[in-house]
Amino acid sequence: MTPMTPMTPPYTPAARRPVKVAAWSLFCPAGIGEAGLQGGQPGKVPAFKARAWVKDRKSLKLMGRSVQLGVAAVRAVLDGVPGWDEVPPSRRGIFVGASPQLGDPDDLSYALKAASPTGTFDLQKFAEDGIDLIHPLWLVRGLSNNVVGFASAFHDLQGVNANYCDGRLSGWNALTEGYAAVAEGRADIVVAGGADAFVGADELLGVPCGEAAAFVVFQAADGGEDLEMGDCPELTDVESTLGYLGAAAAPVAWVRRFAGGAAQDS
Amino acid sequence: MSKLAEDAVVVTGMGAATAAGLGVAALRDALLADRFCGTAWNGALPVPVVGSCPDPLPPDAHFPDDRKAWLAFAAAAEAWQQAGARDVPSDRRAVFLGTGLSSVTPEELETDLYPHLGADGRFDRAAMGRDLSRDRGAPRRHMPARVTAALRERFEAEGPSGTSFSACAAAAQAIGEGLLALRRGEADIALVGGHDSMIHPLGMLSFVVLGALSPSRCRPFDPSRDGFMIGEGAGMLVLERASSAKARGATIFAELAGVGSSVDAWNATAPHPEGAGAELSMRRALRSAGLPPESVDYVNCHGTGTPLGDRAESLAVARLFGERAVAVSTIKGAVGHTIAAAGAVEAVASVLALHHGFLPGCVGHGDLDPGLPVDVVATCRNQAPQVVLSNSFGFGGQNCTLAFVRGPDT
Repeated sequence: MTPMTPMTPPYTPAARRPVKVAAWSLFCPAGIGEAGLQGGQPGKVPAFKARAWVKDRKSLKLMGRSVQLGVAAVRAVLDGVPGWDEVPPSRRGIFVGASPQLGDPDDLSYALKAASPTGTFDLQKFAEDGIDLIHPLWLVRGLSNNVVGFASAFHDLQGVNANYCDGRLSGWNALTEGYAAVAEGRADIVVAGGADAFVGADELLGVPCGEAAAFVVFQAADGGEDLEMGDCPELTDVESTLGYLGAAAAPVAWVRRFAGGAAQDS
Repeated sequence: MSKLAEDAVVVTGMGAATAAGLGVAALRDALLADRFCGTAWNGALPVPVVGSCPDPLPPDAHFPDDRKAWLAFAAAAEAWQQAGARDVPSDRRAVFLGTGLSSVTPEELETDLYPHLGADGRFDRAAMGRDLSRDRGAPRRHMPARVTAALRERFEAEGPSGTSFSACAAAAQAIGEGLLALRRGEADIALVGGHDSMIHPLGMLSFVVLGALSPSRCRPFDPSRDGFMIGEGAGMLVLERASSAKARGATIFAELAGVGSSVDAWNATAPHPEGAGAELSMRRALRSAGLPPESVDYVNCHGTGTPLGDRAESLAVARLFGERAVAVSTIKGAVGHTIAAAGAVEAVASVLALHHGFLPGCVGHGDLDPGLPVDVVATCRNQAPQVVLSNSFGFGGQNCTLAFVRGPDT
């Protein structure tokens, strides 16, 4: 039998430990990193090149825009924590808020064309002739938990985890549960945040849209002060500036509040 | 079981909608009889059988054409009614739900996508957005948290809530969230579970092109296994502390003693070949429950009947339990793989096993693959387990294990 993986005892409220933010990352229409802390307008993350952040080209092909942003932001936030890779993989957690993508419709285009030789859609032909023209990973590309899947594989994050789909509150659930996982001793380090991309969906949603990803690393603050998470930020404030950000809205707002506040304090 | 702690989290309500039919009793009877619940699929896709709920589902005016929502509502109503906890203040009621990709109907393919396919084979996304922005049901139907919100409204739950989306681990994750919320004292009662239906052309097609569906039938842990039968369903549990359940004389069906999760950190669709993540998830659940591996009598496996998945899980089980061959089976051969709902439907099956004293058989299993070091319960066994683990593993590598313990009333 393999030896037991090192784990802390079952959680009891009395065993809570203080938590700190070891690093944060921010990719939003105002910019990347500190450039994203203020201002901005709805739209794309300026100067974001997914290839600069995701070296594995094969994986990159399987990622939609929001997943690219999320995976990049996870890498960026871990880059800001010296020694994070000394934590055992089973003690590294990941909590993400993200929307499902329903796959990329372009993956269906050849099958749809094959299903309409006379200009009229024919479901029977779609099934018979189109099936071999669909990318095998069409379903997988649309999964909401792709940031968890890819980022965990890249950084060997094997610990406690969750992926939330609660609209604009998805990212907030990820932050609070990621915080709790460290506080309760279920992980020693947790990457938590959200990612979403709605650029081009303005007419569909009826509001200006943007794209973003923001993550923090929670770590035990042994002997230090416990982080005050505060309430969920007012999301209409950040979205009136940056556009609808879906699951990324709360992490973006929280990081801008936390890091912006920290900058002002210093 | 030993004396139940006052703050233990227990199951006092269950609901199910599966290929066995509407209701927990239908699922129980099917499991006791080793009944194969699949039905022939006569669509254009190369899918021979599906695990479709055979009973009419009460439709919902707010969720037209949304079968997976109807499944959730039916199971939730059954669980809530059985628990009968009407006096819990609304701000102390939690809802955690696991869900999956929404269904895309043939009508949506035809009316929402096809008209915007250009001659160059690319979609005019702006035109598609303009079209969908009109007051149509489809875009709203694709919002995963809608059903969670509807359940909160129906059961007047204003406490914590969340919608887990971790592929086939989603419902188990949601049940685990409920356990944590109760342990933390954030709620006094939690409606938890999951729902899904991928029995629609695009859903099935997605699994066909992945090569995950069996071209014949699901044969878990069998040397000839070649994939799963697609199913649909919902499972719901009502969780509360033992103290409140005992105070109002509620039937305690089982204790939800622990939850464990892990990530394979390996591959988008394939499991870790040695089942490292699966093992960690089970160990975590036991640790969370304060139980040693020796206490486990039965593992309700994820057991999809895929060559890689069954092998990885078997290796994980073998490492965890050592030379002691713990009984394992999966109900996916009977009711199909209910995808995001699997963790909840199988949690209900695990609680049924504890409450009624049986080990579900492994419908579809013929011979044991000699490469799998596990003790498969081939047919329903009259044996009362004390501790049951229920495994759920999803695409993306997310794993979740629930640890249930036999309740005092059984």
